[in-house]
Amino acid sequence: MKNRLKVLRAERNWSQQALADELGVSRQSVNAIETGRYDPSLPLAFQIAEVFALAIEEIFLRD
Amino acid sequence: MTGAVRTSRPGLWGGLMIGTAAVILALRYSGAINGSTAYILAIIPIVFMFVTARSLASARNPGCGPAGNRAARRYTTGMMATSIAYMLGLGIAIWTFKNLEPSVAVTWGLAMLPIAPILAMIYVMGRYIVEEQDEYLRHRAIIAALIGLGFVLAIGSFWGFLETFELVPHVPGWWAVPIWAIGMGLGQAWQSMGQKMDSSDEE
Repeated sequence: MKNRLKVLRAERNWSQQALADELGVSRQSVNAIETGRYDPSLPLAFQIAEVFALAIEEIFLRD
Repeated sequence: MTGAVRTSRPGLWGGLMIGTAAVILALRYSGAINGSTAYILAIIPIVFMFVTARSLASARNPGCGPAGNRAARRYTTGMMATSIAYMLGLGIAIWTFKNLEPSVAVTWGLAMLPIAPILAMIYVMGRYIVEEQDEYLRHRAIIAALIGLGFVLAIGSFWGFLETFELVPHVPGWWAVPIWAIGMGLGQAWQSMGQKMDSSDEE
């Protein structure tokens, strides 16, 4: 699944670590999701959407 | 926070662990040292194993929530305690069996000395998977455990049939856990390499 996490993070000038801290996960998790190596669970996807104040489908896109 | 990853250097410590273990095994099987010396020297890779586990834990959980850190800490502590218990139990059991000619009942008890810590190690690994709150790290641990299981099944079947046809000597069944652990370690290393290659962090 593709996502816009890196772009959204850059727009807000957030580091991966800052986003990870916000989500309560490791930096590796953020990196793995950003690079598409790992698709987050639905609860984590909702949490990410909440942090960016966006809908899930505005962040995660179908291949 | 990535500084912690760079300075913890789990790859270096893991390499030293495997390297020293390989040297000791080579010395033992070439006849350069006897079993007792090999047993004493085994403390070196075990110390490196503890350092590797600690550095992996610090690399694994920078900035992670307290629950995630707690799971990794409990895993490291549990593995240290069970490894020490295994080394002591194995040493005591072998020495007593070879030198004191124990009865059958006592021999059953002696055999339990290395078995119990091995079972405890398996429990500690399972508990980490249950307690890890970071779903990606939990996913990685499960993938690594499955790779380890693949090693056990592949090597066990391969060697087992060679043994059936009397092409290779018998290997004790307790090798299953070390082979699983080696496979799991390689699985973690493979995933870490993939992560490093894909890494796009700017910090």
